[in-house]
Amino acid sequence: MSEGDISERGLHTDLLSRRLLVVTGKGGTGKSTISAALALAAARRGKRVLVCEVSARERVSELFGKPPSGPEIRELAKNVYSVHVRPPEAMREYGIMTLRSETLYNLVFERKVVRYFLRAAPSLAEIVMLGKIAWHAEKEFDRGVHKWDLVVLDAPATGHALALLTVPRVFLSLVSDGPLAADMTWIQTLLQDPTRTQVLVASLPEEMPVNEAIELRAALCKEKLPLGPLVLNAVFQPRFTEAERTAVARGGPMLSAAADAADGHEARAQMSVQYEKVLRDAIAAQSAPGQAAQGPLLCVPQLFERQFGLNAIEKVAHALEGAL
Amino acid sequence: MTASAAQNSQLPLRELVRGRKVVALVGSGGVGKTTSAAALALRLAVDGQRVLVLTIDPARRLANSLGLSALGNKETPIDLSSLRARGIEPRGQLSAMMLDLKTAWDELVRKDSRSPAQAEAILKNRLYQTVSTVLAGSLEYMAMEQVQRISASGRYDVVVLDTPPTSNALDFLGAPDRLMDMLDNDAMRFVLGPMLKAGSFGLKLFALPSSIILKTLARFTGADFLRDVADFFVAFEGMYEGFTQRAAQVKALLASPESAFVLVTSPSALTIDEALFFHRALSDARIKTAAVIVNRMQRDPRAVGGAELAADLVEALSRAQIPDAPAAPAALHELGAVESSALDAKGGELLSARLARTLLEQAALADVDHREVARLTAALPGVPLYVAPRLRRDIHDLSGLWQIHESLGAF
Ligand SMILES: Nc1ncnc2c1ncn2[C@@H]1O[C@H](COP(=O)(O)OP(=O)(O)O)[C@@H](O)[C@H]1O
Ligand SMILES: Nc1ncnc2c1ncn2[C@@H]1O[C@H](COP(=O)(O)OP(=O)(O)O)[C@@H](O)[C@H]1O
Ligand SMILES: [Mg+2]
Ligand SMILES: [Mg+2]
Repeated sequence: MSEGDISERGLHTDLLSRRLLVVTGKGGTGKSTISAALALAAARRGKRVLVCEVSARERVSELFGKPPSGPEIRELAKNVYSVHVRPPEAMREYGIMTLRSETLYNLVFERKVVRYFLRAAPSLAEIVMLGKIAWHAEKEFDRGVHKWDLVVLDAPATGHALALLTVPRVFLSLVSDGPLAADMTWIQTLLQDPTRTQVLVASLPEEMPVNEAIELRAALCKEKLPLGPLVLNAVFQPRFTEAERTAVARGGPMLSAAADAADGHEARAQMSVQYEKVLRDAIAAQSAPGQAAQGPLLCVPQLFERQFGLNAIEKVAHALEGAL
Repeated sequence: MTASAAQNSQLPLRELVRGRKVVALVGSGGVGKTTSAAALALRLAVDGQRVLVLTIDPARRLANSLGLSALGNKETPIDLSSLRARGIEPRGQLSAMMLDLKTAWDELVRKDSRSPAQAEAILKNRLYQTVSTVLAGSLEYMAMEQVQRISASGRYDVVVLDTPPTSNALDFLGAPDRLMDMLDNDAMRFVLGPMLKAGSFGLKLFALPSSIILKTLARFTGADFLRDVADFFVAFEGMYEGFTQRAAQVKALLASPESAFVLVTSPSALTIDEALFFHRALSDARIKTAAVIVNRMQRDPRAVGGAELAADLVEALSRAQIPDAPAAPAALHELGAVESSALDAKGGELLSARLARTLLEQAALADVDHREVARLTAALPGVPLYVAPRLRRDIHDLSGLWQIHESLGAF
């Protein structure tokens, strides 16, 4: 194995000992799948893991074969828990926590016009959601120790994720006083600390997810958010030589289906090889001297499960652990 | 179910949307909305119509090949002459335009404001600068606003609207309402009232938050934030009516028989769920789903016939005098999937075994796709369905777009 492999190994081992892992990327690239697999891998090491879901529909609980967790924390598997973080509940929890009075909260925040105002006030939804997630990661204690060893955020797709992760900076550029500003300050420090937080970008071996992954990583870097591994998901490995395919294609009607399948496979494999190289080059270019260190590239193979559930997550976790 | 074309509706999609002024392609991210919108627009233009495709986030190479790379909010004619090499004579015209959210917002503010000074005040407002790019639903709102404006101009027979990769289907239909909520002065005036003061030039910002509501809110958000929000609404004063009126026009156009909504989905379970959800959201808004496109359907290798099992493949290879040679030892992560009998002494997997395994895998992908399409069809009786295969290369030029119709035969 080359030296590169050793350093990748070190980074990846550390990955699961962070406080917060954020998984983002283009829609459909496997963010929820990878979030679930990371949680499973960490739980297997005896860590207590909380997965925070923020999209309209819960997916991680479903992957574990469990009903949606909703706004209450529920157990999905041994040491794996999840919660659906939604603006209304997050606003309530957060409001009561900062005002230190449920009565006052109800008196003011539950008024129709105020609710209307809060819904319309820009970025407030992101602020309270991020506040809740960061609280679980950093400030929630149980008998003097962190309640969660690791929080995994199954983040929204690219643009929305960037809006979520940059909300502390945007807010602090507008506001400097008040409890929200104080919270946004420590949250920003947490998010920008590479020993506590890593942002993983998921991609598929296709043009748009790859371009989006590269642009997203550049944007994250500019925001000083620490980049973790780039996960290239659903990779096909080349399996046939050119000569074999030509021979099979000319091999007569009995080999028609086989030739067609091999063509289909190799088309995907070629894209996998091509885009893996594009991503490696991009990582190398982004890691130029003077730039922040970049996470490695982790490849997860394409799976062929007829039901994509816990067994698939185990395979993905296994592939991710392959680099450990 | 075998060949996908057999499932396609009898009436080609281009006929189905004939006479419509707006064709909107909607669905979750990455399913092929931008590609399908470009392909359909191209087809309508070749058939003789004046077509504008309003696209949101084209793949870079598609944008490049359409000549859209350098453009913001401008309608740009597309050169169709390259199709002649394929023996196609375009009879109409195709223009394309890429929506740039920030520019679109700025233009709207300039147009709707009562004075250049008001426009400047808004454009400079710190909150506006973040709001105009991140506000949920604002991309959706802008897309519809532009369609309404362009469609009313009469420069085109039809506008094909590619839609943003909405995280939630309702974002799209709810966008105008949500934006109105946000700009609704009444609620804001009530909450922020004590901070505002009517002056001879409209509203002005006034002092510190004083009411109990404001004081409590300020304990939560900080007074600066409230002042910024108040400032923002002061800046927008008087523009609300213009926005409401336009939003009403947009809604009316989309709900009218002059518009067609086409749902685009991939065959994956998640996107089909979203398509069904979107379909319900459309019917709740009393909008009919004109058609569904299932894009990127996995081809089933078994449909072409021949041996499938390893033993039969061994024989077929030997008849064709192809050596059943081992490959390099199977990659580590593939090992679990390979039976030991399929390996030679050095751990290399035989060609027959690799072919059999590949067939199984590709067939599994096709089966899952078919199962999901069957579910979709059952849930949407009577809605015309078009299935487009997953092409074995990226689509990034006119010729690739054209290939989509050819393989569909139904666009
Ligand atoms: N390695 C893989 N092989 C095959 N299918 C996969 C793989 N990873 C994810 N999928 C499938 O791809 C789809 C999108 O995955 P998901 O994790 O939900 O993406 P996201 O959260 O980014 O939208 C799901 O249907 C999932 O089952
Ligand atoms: N039928 C198809 N076969 C192969 N690739 C496709 C097909 N349709 C779309 N693509 C590719 O998939 C990617 C996403 O398509 P796009 O139209 O941009 O989706 P959306 O606009 O819904 O996000 C693009 O790279 C495009 O080239
Ligand atoms: Mg997801
Ligand atoms: Mg698109």
